[in-house]
Amino acid sequence: MSSRGPRQIRPGRIYQTVTNLLNHRIIDSAKVQKPIWYNVVESIPPSETVVRPLPPQHKVFNPNSKKRKPSRLFQPQQLVYEEDALRDRFYQDHPWELARPRMIVEMDGRDAERYDWSTGLYQPGMPLCGECVVQRQMWMMYNVPGMTKDRAYDIVRREFYLLRQQEDVQRRIAQEEARKVGAYFGKSHMQVGMELEDQVYEGWKKWAGKELQEQVAQQDAAYTNFGAGDGAEDADPDSSDAAEESYGGGDAAGPEKNTNTSPADLIPR
Amino acid sequence: MPITSYIAQLSGRLPIAYRHNLEISSRKDLLPRTFAQNQKLVDGSSTAILAMIIRDLGVRHAGRALAQAQPAHQAQQIRHARQTCLRRLSTQPTTMTTTTQSSIPAIFTANVKSARRKRPDEVDKTAEVYERGRQLRAQIGKLGTDVSTPYRPGDVFTNPPGPGDVTLELLMASQAHMGHHTSLWNPANARYIYGIRQGIHIISLEQTAAHLRRAARVVEEVAYRGGLILFVGTRPGQSQLVSSAARLARGCHLFSKWVPGSITNSDVILRGLPLTMLDENDEPVAGYDRHLQECRPLVPDLVVCFNPRENYTLLHECSQVNVPTIGVVDTNTEPTWVSYVIPANDDSLRCLSVISSVLGRAGEIGHARRLQDAKMGIVEWKTPLDVASFTTTQRQEAEKEAAKSAAEKSAKEMEVLNAMEANNPNASRVSARKM
Repeated sequence: MSSRGPRQIRPGRIYQTVTNLLNHRIIDSAKVQKPIWYNVVESIPPSETVVRPLPPQHKVFNPNSKKRKPSRLFQPQQLVYEEDALRDRFYQDHPWELARPRMIVEMDGRDAERYDWSTGLYQPGMPLCGECVVQRQMWMMYNVPGMTKDRAYDIVRREFYLLRQQEDVQRRIAQEEARKVGAYFGKSHMQVGMELEDQVYEGWKKWAGKELQEQVAQQDAAYTNFGAGDGAEDADPDSSDAAEESYGGGDAAGPEKNTNTSPADLIPR
Repeated sequence: MPITSYIAQLSGRLPIAYRHNLEISSRKDLLPRTFAQNQKLVDGSSTAILAMIIRDLGVRHAGRALAQAQPAHQAQQIRHARQTCLRRLSTQPTTMTTTTQSSIPAIFTANVKSARRKRPDEVDKTAEVYERGRQLRAQIGKLGTDVSTPYRPGDVFTNPPGPGDVTLELLMASQAHMGHHTSLWNPANARYIYGIRQGIHIISLEQTAAHLRRAARVVEEVAYRGGLILFVGTRPGQSQLVSSAARLARGCHLFSKWVPGSITNSDVILRGLPLTMLDENDEPVAGYDRHLQECRPLVPDLVVCFNPRENYTLLHECSQVNVPTIGVVDTNTEPTWVSYVIPANDDSLRCLSVISSVLGRAGEIGHARRLQDAKMGIVEWKTPLDVASFTTTQRQEAEKEAAKSAAEKSAKEMEVLNAMEANNPNASRVSARKM
């Protein structure tokens, strides 16, 4: 329906409207009754709408700025955090970390209260990911005296690499244990890659065969056959071409074979 | 070739484990019919069939051998193996290339195949499997991952949060802060927006919480005064949250299309729907059947809409007849269409479940307070005017009837007395005059 519909004033003014109706009646003798909601809306009025106050400020106001245009003063501002720079750097250095799936469903929204980044990268209720690195780096920058951003980054990312290596080893061992007790897995990446290569190769082979037949057919067409057979003139060019295509591949080896057989003979009956 | 000699020939070449499986196939009455038909094919390619049997039996039983390696069930296993062996013997060998079979399209042989293939009776092994599982659990103990389900979307309906449980953390976990892309916003909603993050507007959760509490108070007070609350949510997936809120608040729900004119043309559209008359303790009152059949359809006293963007007609009708509305307004929704705005994410079912639970609980609290006060004699609502006028007219009619019947009764008695006087003038005249 109408998405950007007309602005209404009646819904916000029902109390005023009904008050007017109650106070100014055409037929005084007719009985009127206040609606059930009248006292409720009177004591709990609707809040102010539409008017745009100054939005929450996320940038530090610079009074010495040369910009004098206030046109964007009442527009919402970008939310920027200090961790954003650290996140950008980490994910630029480790782009494949973005490929790791992550569950972001929260239970009660109080996960941050249970984190203590002084203990390490593993925290309860959070998988090992780039965010762990960033948060621990932040903790180090602000809690370890004499720590710089780059040094903290180096220390924490090396911790991260160690843990990822441990995870890889655990995964490999788990797969071996599973195979030992009878589990079987799907195709490995190598197998899938090889199958894709095979498919492409088969497709190429077909294409190459067709190209070869076309070339041979062109070569054959260059040499006309005089007195080759009765059907040579009667046959359609399309059917003779089709016959040549199907049998042309086999004749690449010996051109003397072509002179003996005519296109008409090659058409299957 | 006779069947018994053929079986003897085969059994000599098969491994020991399967040898006795073939004993049963020597009984002709147990063999399926197709074996006789396969005989002429068998003569020329017994080795092919042999290869087929060994391969298929291996395929059939390898999995079973791995899964159920227990001596207790070997008898069962053997019986199964025998049945499958029979089945395999009766099917066509895969190495044969018979032109007659392949040229007939499958559609003509489909029914025949299913008639031939006789499945063995399925033995119910539930008890054995359960016992085996119990033994394994006793052996394994508590090893392995502790799989728990801390979040289930249906938990919000089994234990709905109330107005007092509204926290910013709860709203954030319910994704109530996620607005639409900045290019799709309605600037009238600028006051509800906290900032921009990843290209979308982030709704201020302080605003959401404050407006939600205000709306909950309105719902509670309207319910306290016996008002009819209508919960509307017409998007797919909103039926459960809408109906649960209505159940808690003892109101009505709508999760299909709003029929235009259901309020302004209610006399036509909502005609004939069943109604009940209740007193202050919510007990049914007798004697109003005629009124309920003739009265005008009810109009809600408060409408709560979870997707105002798709319900412009409903909200416009409400404004025309001065019905207050509460709506969940996203960053691209028009806030002036509703009386009370709840700025929140209307695309998240989890967010709407929380909001609907809060409002439903508020209605429940209001109704509970109303009934408690009614027991003590405090009633904040008045009888509607049409009901009151019906009651008055009924009483007047009843009084008229009573007066008429009294007059009739006295007239009859007068007649009787006059008649008696006519018969016996001396005795009755005095009494008639006395009367």
